[in-house]
Amino acid sequence: MPEGKFCNKKPIDTAEGINELLSDTSGNNYYQEMKELDIDSDLLWKTIQNTCKSRTKTWLEICAHCGMCAESCFLYQVNGRDPKQVPAYKIQSTLGEIIKRKGKVDNQFMRDTMETAWSKCTCCNRCGTYCPHGIDTGIMFSYLRGLLYQQGFVPWELKIGAGMHRVYRAQMDVTDEDFVDTFEWMVEEYEDDYPGLTVPVDVENADIMYTVNAREVKHYPEDLAEAAILFHMAGENWTVPSKGWEQTSLAMFAGDWAACKMQVESVYEAMERLKPARMIGTECGHAHRATVIEGPYWAGRKNGQPPAESIHYVEWLAEALNTGKLKIDPSKRIKELVTLQDSCNYIRNHGLKKATRDIIKHIVEPGYFVEMSPNKEHNYCCGGGGGFNGIGLFRKQRNIALLTKRDQILATGAKLVLAPCHNCWDAIRDLEEEYEIGIRWSFLKPIVIKMLVIPEHLKPEE
Amino acid sequence: MFKKILFATSATQASDHAARVAFNIAKNYQSSLNIFHVMGVPTRGYSQVVIDVKTKEEVAVDEDYTAWVTEEVRTYYEKHLDGSFEHTIDVAVGFPAREILRQAKTIKPDLILIGGSTGDEDESVYKKNSAGSTLQKVAKAAKCPVLVVNRPAASFWGGLSNIVFGTDFSKTSDKAFDFAMKVAKALDCEVNVFHAIDITPLHTGKILTQDEIEQQIRESLRKIRARYEPRLKELKAYSMDVAEGIPYMEIVKYARDNMADLIIMAHHSRKVVSDDTRLGGNVEQVIVRAGCPVISINK
Repeated sequence: MPEGKFCNKKPIDTAEGINELLSDTSGNNYYQEMKELDIDSDLLWKTIQNTCKSRTKTWLEICAHCGMCAESCFLYQVNGRDPKQVPAYKIQSTLGEIIKRKGKVDNQFMRDTMETAWSKCTCCNRCGTYCPHGIDTGIMFSYLRGLLYQQGFVPWELKIGAGMHRVYRAQMDVTDEDFVDTFEWMVEEYEDDYPGLTVPVDVENADIMYTVNAREVKHYPEDLAEAAILFHMAGENWTVPSKGWEQTSLAMFAGDWAACKMQVESVYEAMERLKPARMIGTECGHAHRATVIEGPYWAGRKNGQPPAESIHYVEWLAEALNTGKLKIDPSKRIKELVTLQDSCNYIRNHGLKKATRDIIKHIVEPGYFVEMSPNKEHNYCCGGGGGFNGIGLFRKQRNIALLTKRDQILATGAKLVLAPCHNCWDAIRDLEEEYEIGIRWSFLKPIVIKMLVIPEHLKPEE
Repeated sequence: MFKKILFATSATQASDHAARVAFNIAKNYQSSLNIFHVMGVPTRGYSQVVIDVKTKEEVAVDEDYTAWVTEEVRTYYEKHLDGSFEHTIDVAVGFPAREILRQAKTIKPDLILIGGSTGDEDESVYKKNSAGSTLQKVAKAAKCPVLVVNRPAASFWGGLSNIVFGTDFSKTSDKAFDFAMKVAKALDCEVNVFHAIDITPLHTGKILTQDEIEQQIRESLRKIRARYEPRLKELKAYSMDVAEGIPYMEIVKYARDNMADLIIMAHHSRKVVSDDTRLGGNVEQVIVRAGCPVISINK
């Protein structure tokens, strides 16, 4: 069977298509059909010739098989140091083979490759930090995912996720109306406590355009209120776009290059329409990577930059605290052992380690912050990055992957983990569910709000 | 009075006493009852998988599953759904407090009715992902009165005839009073206005002399008379009382001694204080301890 009803090479472009795929619970039929899916070897080889650039070719070529990357990979460490988990092996035996064979690979090979691409690499890019040649396997896996996606070999949830971006320009079925409506609802809910709290929609030339993660809208909209409260307290001139508000990109995890472009362009269009001085995204790691670091290239922007200066939430928060726009009541600082999860996507990939530590200085009583070991650009992935968290098929592997983070957290002795990244937050939540080590975890927003000094003129009337 | 009631339920024993009150009100006052059940809490990141609140298993939610859970809820309440009142059943996925509020935003009920603490039974699933209990969050943000039935004792209840209105003289309390008056007039009830003076040293900062306490009691009574009596006169029966002690205890005792069948209070704690209702504000304490249903009014 060349193309299945559920599993095929066609991207999903309609809401009906999403619903149809969703109706195949857990993708049971989808994965059955995948076993029969044909490979379009000509297309695969042609795509490689058109898209596999010199960097990747060179990396594959110059890898000395020295094995320095092995220990750098937490999945190698946590899976009994299985040689098959050495990053160099993982990429050579997949992408390397496809290129060597000029795309002439069979179904079994593609399914194995899919397993490697989504369950043996979280695209955390740690190996690239340790390779003497600077070879970054994570980047090559992102590329490989694109080839797999094109051929229809992609985990069920990510096919759906990429479809969501195509249909809704959001990672979940949240419409533009839902977004504005939910944000307004949240602000209304909190305006008694914070007089004057509003959500300015589509204001041109604001200092800040704020973008979010659709899951906040769908499942925990308090996060939207918290963002509004902090901007309000800091006296910021901010806005949200009614269109182009979603910063995340499951399309990036899925390897759906066309959807990556569509998604990020919707945010850039909002920037061009509203002309904000800066764009700030929510506490999400991959959203930042997708929209700020990689997005400009997907959208073909020559300078490699988004249309407006774009910073991560932790950068804004650090700035607001450092400049005194937001003031912390020292008596309310965290007075228990607390540790911090460094998100690969904006720490290792964008060097923002100082911002989070600046924030810590303001909100944690001196002596109570414990670094994980290793940390900053050397920190390990939470265990659920790159889409790993959401894939049912690889749940077992994902749970093993959480062990590294579990042990890192246990070693700090802290019971509270600050996780300013949706994906890390999820993984840490899941690791508590799975291994019950008695920890709590939080984004920064709710923690900071609890300890703010509220300026006189913003206090509610008693 | 209560044309449309949103009854949020775990559809387990933990909600049985709340259910008894919900069905009683619906029958006695011809309400239309929306039975609302949050069946699962999202897990696994962006995926469609939830943790089922009953089995605690990971489940992929699809149309069949939703239909099946709806049927389960219907079966659970089958003997109460005897056609004597209108009802609908909705199920949803999400974090309970937020989904209850979302449902309220959609159907705009006159009253939200929920059980109190669900105890250990489904704690692990409902409460895991958020600080603050479902009850606290709903009571804080709801735009309509929230009726809570926490203890089984609070559900053996014959109807509404005797309301205790607890006041702290705040603006929100005035709104709660408006509501108490509305209920009392519509259902021909007696209203007992009550204020408790907090004499705990933690609150007062010192130990009050008896003269000071009695002075405060007199002042509070004067305040109650000035603030509420003109309107209370519209009712057939009412009373006004003040007592000193730990406020929530005094209210619970007063309601018990007066055989109240409903307590109405304002909820205006600014923040969701803690994930443990035992540490919440006065109204939460009253909810936890009262021998009758409690209505909390927020706005």
